[in-house]
Amino acid sequence: MKAVILDGIVLGLGFGLLGVGLTLVYGLGGVLNLAYGEIAVFGAIVVSQVMDRGAPTLVAAGVGMLAAAALSVLLDLTLMRPVYRQTGEERTLLGLLLTLGVAFVIVGLLNWKYPTGALYIFVGGDPISIAGVPMAAGSVWASVITLGVAGVLLVFFGLTTFGRGVRSVIQDETGARLVGISPSLVRTLIFALSGGLAGLVAVTRSMSAPLTVTAGFDLTTFALIVAVVGGLGSVAGAFLAGVLLGIVDNVSAHYIGEYITAIVLLAAAAITILVRPRGLLGR
Amino acid sequence: MGGSAVSAAPGPRPRGPRLARLLTRALLPIAVAAAILVVLPPLWFGDSPYTTGLAVEALVFGCYAVGFNLIFGSTNQLFLCVGALAGVGGYSTAILSDKASLPLAAGVALGTVSAAIVGGLLAWIAVRRSLNVIFTGIVTLVFSLAFTNFIIGQRDLTGADTGYVLQGAATDLADDRVGGYYLFVVVLVVLLIVFRALQLSHVGWAFRALRDDEVAAELAGVDVARYRIYAAVVGSAMIGLTGGLYAYSLGFISPVTYGFAQVDVQVLIIVAFGGMGTLLGPVIGAAAFGFLDRALTDSGQLREAYYGAFVIAIFLFLRRGVVPAAVGLFDRLASLRRGAQRVDGAPGRAER
Repeated sequence: MKAVILDGIVLGLGFGLLGVGLTLVYGLGGVLNLAYGEIAVFGAIVVSQVMDRGAPTLVAAGVGMLAAAALSVLLDLTLMRPVYRQTGEERTLLGLLLTLGVAFVIVGLLNWKYPTGALYIFVGGDPISIAGVPMAAGSVWASVITLGVAGVLLVFFGLTTFGRGVRSVIQDETGARLVGISPSLVRTLIFALSGGLAGLVAVTRSMSAPLTVTAGFDLTTFALIVAVVGGLGSVAGAFLAGVLLGIVDNVSAHYIGEYITAIVLLAAAAITILVRPRGLLGR
Repeated sequence: MGGSAVSAAPGPRPRGPRLARLLTRALLPIAVAAAILVVLPPLWFGDSPYTTGLAVEALVFGCYAVGFNLIFGSTNQLFLCVGALAGVGGYSTAILSDKASLPLAAGVALGTVSAAIVGGLLAWIAVRRSLNVIFTGIVTLVFSLAFTNFIIGQRDLTGADTGYVLQGAATDLADDRVGGYYLFVVVLVVLLIVFRALQLSHVGWAFRALRDDEVAAELAGVDVARYRIYAAVVGSAMIGLTGGLYAYSLGFISPVTYGFAQVDVQVLIIVAFGGMGTLLGPVIGAAAFGFLDRALTDSGQLREAYYGAFVIAIFLFLRRGVVPAAVGLFDRLASLRRGAQRVDGAPGRAER
């Protein structure tokens, strides 16, 4: 039981990180970025290409994250501009449709150029024992990295001036502008952060199982569910939702069976949304 | 807003030639579309089974889009479960007619009813919890994914990923693609007439009110919750019926036939492209993407990338969809000719 829950937490932290990138962009730009998973896959393919050229893994991972961040910023600076000029539901819908188009373009180009592309980062070493449960070195390292980044993000948004500035823009754009914060600059920086996080998720995921070109759709839907269950715009909420759903997923996978698990997981997400439409930690 | 559609029909009841004129005006767009669809196979692609197959698919997507347009375009409920609702119709039809050996028509009817019930329940939940567009979208998306997993999980009943062959399927329809084509032309026309009838009745009036401003509509006495559920039930029935008949005409279904990525994404793009809430928007959208499908046949691996680029381009330049853009252009031309006199869209005129 302990092992199952521990595994669930590891899985959930990854879900959480996925959700954070999406939730921040939604909070700031009002855009649900449906190309999010594809940006992660793009990052993964860049990492694998750089590694093939003989670069050390860490360097390759850095390059991949930067590439994903750059792609995300490019999206903010070009295609998302007309979206920001809309308001309310028109903005949401236009954002959905344009990022959907972008997702098709990215996955189409990747499929064409690297049809068998995949990223697998092998982490050697014996299983590491945590609370008496032996766990694969790769997933332990992946969760250490994820936990570290999660901590940094929570501290950043909770304690630093810039982090608070970002939250102020999420809460009240006009108010933020009045105290001298530029919403569009903040937005661009958050798109960069979101892209970087997508790249990071791609890297940490590939440490326990290969990440293929076709993984984008699943990544996007998981990010979407986690972000909504956690409360759109809430970083802590995304992590909480990720971990909870990760545990539900693993426990039911272990005791019930594969396909029913997915249904249990999805039902858990749906019930959370229905009981608390604002999400776990949403405002 | 009580009473039946007839008693609440706006204005005095027209008689004789006026009624005929009104009917002509109301049904003319549908008749024109139907005529074009009927003559297409002999004039163009009837001799190519491949293109006819694509045309059948475009028609099926057109039918899904009419249902989705009723739910999302008319009452702002983002149902991201078109594929799943069609799947409810399709698998019910398949299993009921094969395993419970019901006649096909009964299977299709029960499939349609099941889809309507599921869609109505989803709308009821969304209304009760007053979910906004995005949350309705996520809950229905979750339902879609759960449905796919459920189908894959029930291997004995549904054949899981391998798919399910309908023994009772009409082989003449499955072999002769043109027959399937005409079947779906009929279905599309029937769905369009239902849509038009709703548009012109008091229901359409309520739809327009709640789409423009939900709070104002509620204050004006429109029972928003009731009309939302109403739209979802009728729209889901349309989708379920199409899904059931599609299963029957294909003779083979698998989770991919009704997958979220395969159906919902496409339907959303079709309706947004054609123009949300418009009568012919779904048909024009489905036709445009049918052509695009045919044009991209030879581009192989890059197909998806071109498709995405096209989607981006149309939504950058044609934000409100083809039909509203065309109506706007027509209005401007007409008002140029008649001075400053204002010209309303067709539904408004028919009501007066």
